[in-house]
Amino acid sequence: MNRKPLSLALCTATALAMLLGACATGGSNNASPSASGGAAPSGASPSASAEAPADEKPTEITIMLPLNTAETPPDRIKTEVEKLTNTKLTYQFFPADTYEEKLNSSFATGTLPQVTYLKNSTTFLLMREAIKDGQFWEIGPYLSEFPNLSKLKPEILDNTKVEGKLYSLYIGRPLARQGIIYRKDWADKLGIQPPANVDELFEMAKAFTEKDPDGNGQADTIGIVDRNELVYGAFKTVSAWFGTPNYWGEQDGKLLPEFMFPQYVETMDFFKKLRDGGYMNQDFAATSKTDAVKMFTSGKAGIYIGGSMQDIDSLNKDLIKNVPEAVLDVHSMVAGPDGELRQWMIPGYNNVILFPKTAVKDEAELKKILAFFDKMMTPEVANLMYWGIEGVHYTVVDGKAKVSDDKELVEREVKGYKDSVIGEAATNGMYESLNELPGRIHAEQLIVENEKIGVKDPTAALDSATYAEKGVELQQIMTDATYQYIYGQIDKAGFDKAIERWKKDGGDNIIEEFNAARQ
Amino acid sequence: MVEDRTFGGRLFSIVNFALLAVIALVTVLPFVHVVAGSFTTNAEIAAKKFILVPTVWSTEAYRFIFSTPTIFRAMAVSIGVTLVGTLFSMLITSLMAYGLSRRDLDGRRGLMFLVVFTMLFSGGMIPTFLVVKELGLIDTYAALILPSAITAFNMIILKNFFQNIPEGLEESAKIDGCHDFGILFRIVLPLSMPAIATISLFYAVTYWNTYMNAILYLNKSEMWPIQVLLRQIVVLASGMDYSSNLDSAVPPPEQSVKMAVIVVATLPILLVYPFLQKHFAKGAMLGSIKG
Amino acid sequence: MAVRSQAALRERTKSERKKRMWRNRWIYVMILPGLLYFLIFKYVPMFGLVISFQDYKPFKGILGSEWVGFEHFERLFTMPDFWQILSNTLILFGMNLVFYFPVPIILALMLNEVRTAFFKKFFQSLVYLPHFMSWVIIVSIGYVMLTMDGGIINELLVMLGLPKINFLLSPEWFRPTYIVQVIWREAGWGTIIYLAAIASIDPQLYEAARMDGAGRLRQIWHITLPAIRSVIVVLLILKIGDVLELGFEHVYLLLNSMNRNVAEIIDTYVYTAGLRQMQFSYSAAVGFFKSAVGLVLVMVANRLAKRFGEEGIY
Repeated sequence: MNRKPLSLALCTATALAMLLGACATGGSNNASPSASGGAAPSGASPSASAEAPADEKPTEITIMLPLNTAETPPDRIKTEVEKLTNTKLTYQFFPADTYEEKLNSSFATGTLPQVTYLKNSTTFLLMREAIKDGQFWEIGPYLSEFPNLSKLKPEILDNTKVEGKLYSLYIGRPLARQGIIYRKDWADKLGIQPPANVDELFEMAKAFTEKDPDGNGQADTIGIVDRNELVYGAFKTVSAWFGTPNYWGEQDGKLLPEFMFPQYVETMDFFKKLRDGGYMNQDFAATSKTDAVKMFTSGKAGIYIGGSMQDIDSLNKDLIKNVPEAVLDVHSMVAGPDGELRQWMIPGYNNVILFPKTAVKDEAELKKILAFFDKMMTPEVANLMYWGIEGVHYTVVDGKAKVSDDKELVEREVKGYKDSVIGEAATNGMYESLNELPGRIHAEQLIVENEKIGVKDPTAALDSATYAEKGVELQQIMTDATYQYIYGQIDKAGFDKAIERWKKDGGDNIIEEFNAARQ
Repeated sequence: MVEDRTFGGRLFSIVNFALLAVIALVTVLPFVHVVAGSFTTNAEIAAKKFILVPTVWSTEAYRFIFSTPTIFRAMAVSIGVTLVGTLFSMLITSLMAYGLSRRDLDGRRGLMFLVVFTMLFSGGMIPTFLVVKELGLIDTYAALILPSAITAFNMIILKNFFQNIPEGLEESAKIDGCHDFGILFRIVLPLSMPAIATISLFYAVTYWNTYMNAILYLNKSEMWPIQVLLRQIVVLASGMDYSSNLDSAVPPPEQSVKMAVIVVATLPILLVYPFLQKHFAKGAMLGSIKG
Repeated sequence: MAVRSQAALRERTKSERKKRMWRNRWIYVMILPGLLYFLIFKYVPMFGLVISFQDYKPFKGILGSEWVGFEHFERLFTMPDFWQILSNTLILFGMNLVFYFPVPIILALMLNEVRTAFFKKFFQSLVYLPHFMSWVIIVSIGYVMLTMDGGIINELLVMLGLPKINFLLSPEWFRPTYIVQVIWREAGWGTIIYLAAIASIDPQLYEAARMDGAGRLRQIWHITLPAIRSVIVVLLILKIGDVLELGFEHVYLLLNSMNRNVAEIIDTYVYTAGLRQMQFSYSAAVGFFKSAVGLVLVMVANRLAKRFGEEGIY
C-alpha cells in the first residue's frame, strides 16, 4: 500500500521533467519558423518580385475574408483561379461570427493582409474613421485603368464612398429581395388571393389562423411567423409597404429618422393587432431565426416574412418532407393604405474589400492586386469562384448555371468562395442561377420588380460623428420601444417619450449632422 | 466502509438516491435530445418540439461530417493541444502552487496577490496579441498553450489543497534529507491525487475549449482545433449571427449536422472525467501513510 | 540602549530572513516559471489598461492616441440607466451567491453519501454533462420549453386548465429563468472541486465518529463540512471577485426588448455600446471599473476570511 503511490510519483516526476525538456525545445523549434512565417505576408512579396522577371512571376496576394460555411474550402478552386489570373493566392478565412475581433486585433497590430474583406456594411461604417485617417489605399483614381473594374455600378460605388472618395470594391447583392413566402396550398384551399395591400395581408394571416387551413380540425396554425429582428425580420419590410421611409426620410425638407413618421406607428399598430389577435407567433420578440424557420417548416405557420424571398428553396426543402402536399409561393407587391407600392432597398452591396497601407507597400503592388480583381470580374473567373468548375460543380442549361446534384461537393469546395466574388452577374458576367422551383422563379421576377419601386436610404453615404459613436446604442432605445408598443407595454405617449429620450441622448445631433452632411 | 444499517441510515440512503436519480435525469435529457437529433433528419427536428427518440433514423449527419478530413484533423489538433497543454500546465502550476503553499516562504503573500490581481485586471486582447506576436508564436501551436498556461483560479485551488497536507509529513521528509523537489514529487503530489485529477480536468477542458486564441493567433485554418469547427456550425445553424444574416449566398448547415458535430466534439472530453474518477478514491492513502 | 537593541533585533531577523530565503532557494526556482508566465502574459499586456484614459484609435496606437483623463468613466457614471444596470448586475450576482453557490456543495455531499461506488460514479458522470453544452444550446432548449407558441411547459399549464405564462418576454420571469439555467448547467460541474476535497478526508475520522454513534447527518456536519470549509471559503472569495462579471453570453442570449429593464447588465451594455461600435477606450474603461470593484470586494472578503481564522487567498 505504501510502495505504489511512491513509485507512481516517481514515474510522474520523471515524465513531467522529460516533458518540461521536450516542451522547451519543442517550443523553440516551433517558434523559429513562425517568426519568419509571421513576417511573410508583408515582407515576402517585394523581395520575391526582385528575383524574377515581373511579367511571368505570379503575383503573391494574401487575402483575409469571413468564413460563412462550416469549414474552409480545399484548394481545388483556388488552384484554378491562380492559373487563370497568374497569381499565388493565400486565403485566410476566419469565422464570420467573431470576424470583427480578428479584424480589430489585426488592424490594431498592423497585421492586416494586402486584401482585407470586411464583414458587412455595419463593419464598413466602423472603419470609416480609419479610412479617413488614410490607413487604406484610395482606389478611385486607378479604377479607369481596369476595363472590368470600371464596369462596377457607379450608384453602388457611390454608396461605399467615404467623403466622396472610393477606397473599396464591393460584393454586390440584389437591392430589394424581401417579400412574403406563403403557403399557396392554404391560400388556394381557402380561396384567398395573394394580398394586394396591407389589409389583405392582415386578412390572410387571420384566415390562416382561424379557418383551419391544414384541415386537421384543430386550431393549431398561425398566420405570420416572425423573429427577434426588426430589420431583417418582418417589421421593416411591412413598414416599407406602409410607406415608412428607409431608415431616414424627408419631412418639410429635413431628414428625420423613420420612427418619427406616422407610417411607422401605423406599422406598429398593424403588428400589435396581429399579435393581439393571435395571428402571429406570440413570442416573436424572443424567437430566433432557427425557431422561426422551424415553425414554418413544421407546417404550423402560413406566412414567413424575413430576409429574402430566395429563402423559399431551403424552406421548401424541409417543409415538403413534413407536409408533402405543401406548395409555397412568394409575393411582394403589397400596397400601403394610400394604394402606393414601395420596397425598401439595401445599398446594393453585402460587403466591401479594403487594401491596408501597412501591407500594400506601393502603387505598383496595389495595381497588381487590382489587376487580380479585374480578372475576377471576367465571366471565366467569376463563374469559377461563384459556381465552381463547369461539369464538376455545375452545368450550363439554357445559359444558366445548374448546380450539381452532388450538393456536398459544392458545399465543400465552392461555397467558401461564393461570398467573395465582387460585383454582380450584371457586371462580372457570371451565370444567373437556373431555378426549378416555381416559387423561386417567381421570386427572381419579383426581385427585379421590387427594384423599380425601391426606396433608398438617403443617409447611406452620409457621415455623422454621433451616429458612428452612439448609433447602435441609441437605436436600441427605439427598437425596445417598438417592441414594447407592439406588446402593449407602452402606448403612443410612451413611444413619443422614447423618441424624446433618443433625441436628448444624441439623436438631435445625428439629425443635425446628417442634414448638414447633405448640404 | 460499512453501511450503517439503522432505519434512519437506510431512509437517508433511499431519499438521497431517489433525489439524485431525478437530478441525473433532468440533466441528461437535453443531452439525449442532442444525440437523438444527430441521428435523425432535419425535417423531423423541425416537426417535433423536443426530440428524445427519433422515429426516422438517419446517420446522414455523421456521414456528412466524416466525409471530409477536416473534423479528424481538428480533433487531432485538439487532442494534441489538450494533452501537451494539460501536462505542461500541470507541471508549472504544481511547482508554483507548491512553492506558494509553503508557509515559511518570504514574499509569499505578495506573490499571491500578484496572481490574484491578474484574475481581476487584464490588459485586453490587443496588448496580449502584441506579446504573442513579439514572442514569435503566431502560427504555432505554442500560441494555444503558452498564453493560457496557468489559470490563476486553478493555481489558487491547488495551492489550497497542498496547504491542507499536514506539515509534519514534509518536515520529516526533510529531516530524512529529501530535497524540495523530492518532497513535491514524492510526498505532496501523491497525497493530492484527487486535487491533481480535478485541476488536470479543468485544464483539459480549458484547452479543449480553446477558441479565441486559435482565431487570433493561427492564420492557417488547417491548424484550427475542433472548437472552431463546432462553434462555426452551431452559430451558423442557429442563425445567431444577426449581422451576417442579411445575405450570405450560402444556406445554413442542417440542425442534425449541428447536433452530430456537438456529439463528436464533446465525446472525447466527456471520457476524461470517468477516467480520472478513480483518483478520487485515493484519499484513503492519507490514512495509510500516516498509520 | 533600547534603540540599539531594536536595531540589533532587526539586524538579526534580517539575517535570519536571508538565511531562510537561501534555504528556500529551490522553492523560488519552482515558482519562477509560473511567475515568468504571469509577468509576460499578464503583466506586460497590462499597459493596455491605459487606453481607458485615452481616446484610443487602433491606427494611432497607444502612444499616438489622445489622453482624455476620466472622460469615459464620466460617460459611464452619468449614463441615464447606469444605476439600473448596476443594480441589475448586483441582483443577478446576489442570486448567484444565494441560489447557485450552495447547490454544488449540497450536490457533492449527496453524491458522497451514495455508498455504491458504481452509482456514485454514474450519477457524478451524468450531472456534470450540461457544462459541455454551450449557452446557445441551453438557451435554445429553454426556448422550446418555455415559449407560448407550443412550448412544453405552457402546453402543460393549458392541460391543467391554467393560463399560459409569458416566460420569455416578461421581466419578472427573466431572473428565475436565468438562475435555473445557471444551476442546471453548472451545479454538477461545480461539485468536482468539492468531491476532490472530500476525497482527501482521512477515512479514520468517519470510523471514529461511527464508533461514537454519530448518524449520517452528524458525520456530514462535523466531519465533511469542516474538512471542505477552506475550499468553500476560497471559492467564495474568488466568486465575489467576479461580482460584475456574469457570463455575458448567457444573459445576452436571454435578453430581449421586453425584459431589458431587468436583464441589461454591465457586460451586455458594454457589448452594445462599446465593442459593436469599436469603442475600445470606453469598453476598457468599463472593464477597469468592473475590475476595481472586484478587487475591492476580494480584498474585503479576504480580510474577513482571515479574521475568522481562514487562510484566505493571499
